Amino acid sequence: MSAAAPPLSHRKAPKWLPYLLVSPTLVIVLVFTAWPTVQAVYMSFFRQYLNFAKFRTPTFIGLHNYRELFTSPDFLQVLKNTAIYVAGTVPASIVLAFLFALLVNRAVKGIGLARLGFFYPTILPMVSAATIWMFFFTPDYGLFNSLLETLGYHGPENWLGNPHLALLAVMIVAIWKNAGYLMIFYLAGLQNLPEDVFEAASLDGASWWTQLWKIAFPLLRRTTLFVSTIAIIDAFQVVDHIFVMTQGGPSGASTVLLYYLWQVRFEDQNVGLASALTVVLIVIMLAITITNFVLSEREGA
Amino acid sequence: MNSAKLRKRLTAVSLNALTAVLAAGWATIIVWAVVVSFRPSSEPLGRGDVWFGHALTFANYLKAWSLAPFGIYYRNTIIIVGMILIAQLMTITLAGFAFAHQEFWGKKAIFFFILLQLMIPAAALLVPNFSTIRKLGLFDTTLAVALPYFGSAFGTFLMRQAFLEVPRDLVDAGIMDGCSWWQLLWHIYLPPSVPTLVAFALSSISWHWNEFLWPLVVTLTERSRPLTIGLVRFTQLGEIGARWPLLAAATITVIAPLFLLFLIFQKQFIRSFLHSGLK
Amino acid sequence: MMSLKQRVFSLAVLLLVLGLALAACGSKATSTPAPAATQAPAATEAPAATAAPKPVTIEVYYPVAVDAPIAKILNGYIADFEKANPNITVKPVFSGGYGDVKTTIQTTIEGGGKPPVLAVMLAADLYDLVNAGYVVPLDDFIKAMPNGSAYINDFFPAFMANSRYDGKIWSIPFQRSVVALYYNADLFQQEGIQPPNSWQALAEAAQKLTIPNKRWGIEWPSGWPYWLFQPLAIGSGQNIVKSPTEVVFNDPKVIAAVQYYIDLSHKYQAMPEGVQKNWGNAPADFAKGAAAMIVHSSGSLSGILSQAKFKVGVMAVPGKAPGTYATVTGGGNFYMLKGATPEQQQAAWKFIEFITQPKYAADFSIQTGYIATRKSAYDTDAMKAYIAKVPQAGQLKDMLQYAGAELSCMNLGKVRNIFHKYLQAAYNGQMTPEEAMQKAQQEADKALEMFK
Repeated sequence: MSAAAPPLSHRKAPKWLPYLLVSPTLVIVLVFTAWPTVQAVYMSFFRQYLNFAKFRTPTFIGLHNYRELFTSPDFLQVLKNTAIYVAGTVPASIVLAFLFALLVNRAVKGIGLARLGFFYPTILPMVSAATIWMFFFTPDYGLFNSLLETLGYHGPENWLGNPHLALLAVMIVAIWKNAGYLMIFYLAGLQNLPEDVFEAASLDGASWWTQLWKIAFPLLRRTTLFVSTIAIIDAFQVVDHIFVMTQGGPSGASTVLLYYLWQVRFEDQNVGLASALTVVLIVIMLAITITNFVLSEREGA
Repeated sequence: MNSAKLRKRLTAVSLNALTAVLAAGWATIIVWAVVVSFRPSSEPLGRGDVWFGHALTFANYLKAWSLAPFGIYYRNTIIIVGMILIAQLMTITLAGFAFAHQEFWGKKAIFFFILLQLMIPAAALLVPNFSTIRKLGLFDTTLAVALPYFGSAFGTFLMRQAFLEVPRDLVDAGIMDGCSWWQLLWHIYLPPSVPTLVAFALSSISWHWNEFLWPLVVTLTERSRPLTIGLVRFTQLGEIGARWPLLAAATITVIAPLFLLFLIFQKQFIRSFLHSGLK
Repeated sequence: MMSLKQRVFSLAVLLLVLGLALAACGSKATSTPAPAATQAPAATEAPAATAAPKPVTIEVYYPVAVDAPIAKILNGYIADFEKANPNITVKPVFSGGYGDVKTTIQTTIEGGGKPPVLAVMLAADLYDLVNAGYVVPLDDFIKAMPNGSAYINDFFPAFMANSRYDGKIWSIPFQRSVVALYYNADLFQQEGIQPPNSWQALAEAAQKLTIPNKRWGIEWPSGWPYWLFQPLAIGSGQNIVKSPTEVVFNDPKVIAAVQYYIDLSHKYQAMPEGVQKNWGNAPADFAKGAAAMIVHSSGSLSGILSQAKFKVGVMAVPGKAPGTYATVTGGGNFYMLKGATPEQQQAAWKFIEFITQPKYAADFSIQTGYIATRKSAYDTDAMKAYIAKVPQAGQLKDMLQYAGAELSCMNLGKVRNIFHKYLQAAYNGQMTPEEAMQKAQQEADKALEMFK
């Protein structure tokens, strides 16, 4: 661990140097993160439709957009879907990632192949992967359904057209895509764990399972925190597969917050409402990342 | 003695089996895509017939390449990813150095301000960023796709972390030797931090190669559209519906280079993640 | 004091920041679209007839919705046109689907940029485009033609149905299709079934031809349901759209159509239940024999013919009453966009005239699978030869007599999404057809309120 840098008593470096060094990054963040946030907040108080001449110039309407949002059953459905989506994909991805890391952390011949098998979804574009998954979800002969049938499943197979299954289908794709990526972080964590801990446990006769849950997982708390931040941000941010597979349907059953935002802005051309949605999304993201940050500070950086 | 050994053996075998099954399952997606891409287009898929056709054919690839200018899409993607990478490597190194090594008024505040970018994902700001790009006159350019990412809070954070891990004595020795700030950066701070740079570079390439929503919004024509958008076009052939062999060939075309690159450099890829101190 | 090296380095970093700004300005200069750049030579009053024609450039946006090499085909036509009109340059932009084209034009105009002169957009988007002030009427150009009304009347009326508004003509048909019922003619003959001529006959045929777990009697995609649903509404006696500001969802005839669709799966077991997300797979399922009939776009014909090993029959969707049939049109028309100079508009109109000539209309249809938009296209030798080889193409054209107007109204995107939401809810059994259509009508009326 390193101590904080002591004050630099350098006659050579000019005082304005640090500001110069951080300026490119600062400018980018200002222009593409800070300023747009302000813009979004501002526009959220206006009514503006781009597809109708009468409403092309913005008119101030106060909190109307927010009122409209929070009384609209569509938006409430979107919130519900988003909550289910996040609560479903994040823990599942993390658990699978941890499991995979454990499985491939063993020195077995050909383990590299397994590692590749779990990780390769990460380097696929989500739109490509989702396109192929569309076939897998085809009723009657899609491979996912064939697999389920051999496992004894006889339920509904219309994954993308069934309002109860559509959201689950996109969640499955997200989990499949992310587990391997998160696995790498756990692998790093596992390899950095002190060897003797496990040796001592084995000598004590602890089973593989006990070692897993009572020892390894708690030691990896910080990794889990880091990984969960990534997973949560990803869950809000990635909607490519929804574009490809369900277009948010049927009847809005698989529409999550970011996809709804895109629809409102680029399909309905409703700039005011889209800005209000942007604000809502920002507030949620801030809440999550600040909570996460506070929690990890408590863990001890 | 023997039963413990036997149990260990059984555990190992069952773990291996589990690993194999899971990995194979995970891999089915790409395996199927490759197989189907060689299936003649005149043989539709159906029950019990979703893998090989009666012949192997390259025709789907030829057709896919004739329907969309993949060469141009490749060019655009490489330009975009390259621009982002070069700019990011520069900005995160410089900024990370400033935050790790130097003291200046407002340092903490500026650092947290930059971290805002981590907390508010680019996707949430699609709408205002789109109008900024419009106002800058950058619509439908590769620069538009790349520009918002030139500064990276994540990268800055990582580099600051990596620089903070450089042993204090080395730095002091450098100062003692009369190094200027950039000599310190180049000779002392950077060398041990290269794995972090590599890990960041790989994850940046991977993320931006596969990005979809932002390019969709700010690009229009072949002038700037990357591979991901070109691929979606195949799924949106509204009038006619899906031709799986054709779609698979288009998909493989988009995936192949990154995939091959990854196969070749797999060890380096993962090692850099492990050693980058991404805790 | 700073060393020379330090100064250089600091300068480099400063340049990085400045470079970003300069690159932005530079891109701004080069990203100005061509029409603006060539505006300089465009004269203000020189009458086109007398002076030597000044060079004009027009940009045309095309969506690509079939897997034919549209770019190659259109570039060929453009080359022919430019040879005949050396002073006009046509710059085509192939940018994606209909949605892409419309979105880009909207955002270009909204951002103060210059839109293209021509664009092919959905015929049904008429009202949104007119109301947003994006497009210009074409009547003056038609009147200036020596045979303007003959020209317009040569287009099939079904295809012109979405071009008229407010007493003016706003678009010219270009790549059009219809909804078709494809059936396995050999199988029908084998089983002794006649091509159905009523709802009842269709249901019974589908039921008879269904073999559980092997073959569906009929597949009827409903992932983007309105288009394939309209023939049922039209065949029931009430189309879902009445005027630019009136939609009809809660009419008993429309509700009966919804119920019929549901009955096909629930009552006759002839169709997959619920929302069928098989627009992509249906043609292949049909060709493979996993479906005896499908309802799909006329544009899928050539794909199906290349895969099916049996005789393919095409017909309009039967109506409720025996002997009646129904279908609906779809596809894109040429629109002329606001903001072009008079010279550009003249050039653009010339281009439209050129590319809609019977021989080009026929050729485009033969190569892409779209239905030729003009009656005289079917008198060309090329088309006659083609129909001799592929009689289904002629049958598709004959279906136009049964076509009703495609759903098109104000605030179309919103209204359509509302309709989809409730139609799919009815298909999925989440509400009764009656309930769903009532709710759909309520919300649609609200969405149309401010446009009345």
